[in-house]
Amino acid sequence: MSTEISPQTADASDEVAARPAPPPRKRAGAGLLRTLSFRNISAVYVFVVLFVVYSFWVPETFLVWGTWTSLFDASATTALIAVGLVLPFAAGVFDLAIGAEVGLAAILVAWLLTSGEMPISQAILLTLVAGAVAGAASGLLIVRARIDSFIATLGLSSVLLAAIAWVSNGQQILNLPLEFQSLATDRHFGVTNAVLITLVVSLAIWYVLERTPLGRRVYATGSGPEAARLSGVHTTRVIVVCLIASGVVAAGAGILISSRLGVGAPTVGPSYLLPAIAAVFLGSTQFKGGRPNVWGTVIAVYVLAVGVKGLQLGGAPVWIPDLFNGAALLIAVGAARYQGRSRPRAAARKG
Amino acid sequence: MEPTPLLSVRNLSKTFPGVLALDQVSLDVHAGEIVAVVGQNGSGKSTLVKVLAGVYEPDPGAHIEVRDGAGNYLTGQRAMSDLHFIHQDLGLVPELSTIENIDIGRPLRHRGLTPYPRRAEVREFSAQVAEFGGHFDVTVPVHRLTAAERTIVAIARAMDGWERPDHVLVLDEPTAALHSDEVKLLFDAVRIVAARGGAVVFISHRLDEVTSLADRVVALRDGRVVGDTPAHAVDNTGLAELIVGRRMEETRREPGPIGKTVLSVQGLSGATLDQLSLELRAGEVVGVSGLLGSGREHLCGLVFGAIPRTRGVVHVAAGAPVPPDPRASIAAGMAYVPADRHRSGVILPMNVRENLTLPALRPLRRWWGGLHAKREGAETAHWVDRIQLRPALPERAVAAFSGGNQQKVALAKWLRAGPRVLLLDEPTQGVDIGARAALYDIVGQSVAAGCAVLICSSDDKELVAFCDRVLVLRDGRVVDELSGDELTPQALLEATVAPSGAATTPSTRHRNGTAHVH
Repeated sequence: MSTEISPQTADASDEVAARPAPPPRKRAGAGLLRTLSFRNISAVYVFVVLFVVYSFWVPETFLVWGTWTSLFDASATTALIAVGLVLPFAAGVFDLAIGAEVGLAAILVAWLLTSGEMPISQAILLTLVAGAVAGAASGLLIVRARIDSFIATLGLSSVLLAAIAWVSNGQQILNLPLEFQSLATDRHFGVTNAVLITLVVSLAIWYVLERTPLGRRVYATGSGPEAARLSGVHTTRVIVVCLIASGVVAAGAGILISSRLGVGAPTVGPSYLLPAIAAVFLGSTQFKGGRPNVWGTVIAVYVLAVGVKGLQLGGAPVWIPDLFNGAALLIAVGAARYQGRSRPRAAARKG
Repeated sequence: MEPTPLLSVRNLSKTFPGVLALDQVSLDVHAGEIVAVVGQNGSGKSTLVKVLAGVYEPDPGAHIEVRDGAGNYLTGQRAMSDLHFIHQDLGLVPELSTIENIDIGRPLRHRGLTPYPRRAEVREFSAQVAEFGGHFDVTVPVHRLTAAERTIVAIARAMDGWERPDHVLVLDEPTAALHSDEVKLLFDAVRIVAARGGAVVFISHRLDEVTSLADRVVALRDGRVVGDTPAHAVDNTGLAELIVGRRMEETRREPGPIGKTVLSVQGLSGATLDQLSLELRAGEVVGVSGLLGSGREHLCGLVFGAIPRTRGVVHVAAGAPVPPDPRASIAAGMAYVPADRHRSGVILPMNVRENLTLPALRPLRRWWGGLHAKREGAETAHWVDRIQLRPALPERAVAAFSGGNQQKVALAKWLRAGPRVLLLDEPTQGVDIGARAALYDIVGQSVAAGCAVLICSSDDKELVAFCDRVLVLRDGRVVDELSGDELTPQALLEATVAPSGAATTPSTRHRNGTAHVH
């Protein structure tokens, strides 16, 4: 699993041990400095640079409120998918099926509403259950069949794409109920429901990961599976639960996408995979020094979105989003590897 | 006249911060000679090998000379290429075949994409291993060979491309993973090397095999050469005395009151264990000694359920049988500190606080499922103080601490859970002396509080100093037990390395006090 940006087993020499503990006094100021350091919140600095550059380059379109609300809204689903994806990554497994899970939910909810003639609430519930089943399938392939998560979810992804084609016949599903279409786009407190839902889900996942014993076990499973298992963590269950949860979140995102577009589109899912993974990787380099985490991921999604938006406003060609997201992913992972190598040594020196 | 030695070491010292690992070691190895270097763990054997291999720089003043058979003094690259090493893990690539493993060391003979002359190659390499008594398929991956066959591959590789027969071969504990019948195969190969005019340095702690193989025995103790005698002039007892020395009795732990049985293991099998039974009582410290492969390295993991067991029942106190699962074992009151600290003992990227509280998070849970951060912080502070963590920074990643402090965390996380049975596997491996004392102190406090402790260790001194009694394992069974006055480093060493023949008739080795073991 290559998300673990685990420090090499740096056997810090015993001189660290021999020295007395430093006085705890100096730590508050140093802590603030570390929090604001480029290494810790590089994405925020990148955001500031992008903002300044675009403000001078395309001020008449970039510095407009409408641009920002639409960007916020359009990226909400990417953020939602990425935040869900934080869970399996934190537990140390890849989920490459997430794009297909989004696509399946988008088409399934449309099909249930039209051909299935189901009420909206039932269709949504059933679609979320389908997402959970897809997640559970990935989980069981990984922990029961012991297939490497990369291969298991890649294979499952292909199976789900086949299911999408089967349900939709490769056609868009039109004539979704208006009530369903307004689901994602209705506004409360000045923002769309999609943004609100993303915010609430992010808060929930953040709380679970950072503030509960369950979250601690998730990170333990991802950082040291054998040590976690011997410490009494039910690591296989942790992995399955994380994949189910991310499957449900992905299904929710798929529903929002269909609602926003007003149609069930069969090709919409896979394009979310790369931006979401890029955001999780980039996010893991933020705040937590290598751990996949919710707010780092959310910020990464919007930094990437702003970067792409500005280039588009400046008249960049259509292939710019792919280039930007791909380059960001490679740079983020490269930076994380570099950080993983140098961190323990730096820490040892400081002691 | 005395022929010039192929390898000559004079006044070799090696100092590590605070430790003198080698102290004025001198050693000669002649052509056609097999010299065994014996000594306990920490006597300086492996440091010697590493200095010869160029891993460590010796202290100034040392002379290491390598000569060829004609007495010419070799320097630099020539000298290095005349010394060959086989380390304990053999350094083979398991997925590659014998041909590929031997071929790795050779200079490239073929250009880029030229195909290999397959059939000629198979013939060549089969002949090469046959020279050392190996008759097996050289095209299968080496992990499918037996341990002895793999050792032969390693020897064939080390001797591959010798221009002259007068090179020096250094084997570092090559028999550790071998069964006794396989050892014979290896010995024959080593004798062939010597018979051809090579010099062999054979590092070992199995005394019985040393006397049957070597021409000369060099004994190390505390980094010094304490004996250098022809092999036929020593016996096991004399050798054990040389190695252990007659030092002042070390400070021993004061035995405390011993209570009722808290751990009972019956007929435990799996990995290298074969129907092993033992009992542990409250407040008792039981040591387990044995060579690699005796079952010592798997005992704790099997009891705890960390590795699959094929048979056997484990009870904690009067409870129901504990299924072979870490969580069930923890619930029953067991705790397990594994030998592989980095992979299994602690989670390196997580900080000390997160590692400390992981085994018992439930008491820190609030009613809605949240983590009680304040209580966690307080408990962490308490344990950081109690184990004297240095530096005392609970928010720092465990990876950034020294080995000794990492081990303190690996131990403290379990003591916090208040276990009734503590299973320790090599608890002080790779730990400096200061932290070692602190670890003993922490464990001692738990024992005084009524915890039962099982220590599996390859460090005899540790077992003698800390345990109430020590079980000796061989071939997966308990073959001996030492306690009280008969528990001395020398007696333990003799019992552990006793000739393999004794294993089949344990009754001949019975001392008193073993009755309740079987």
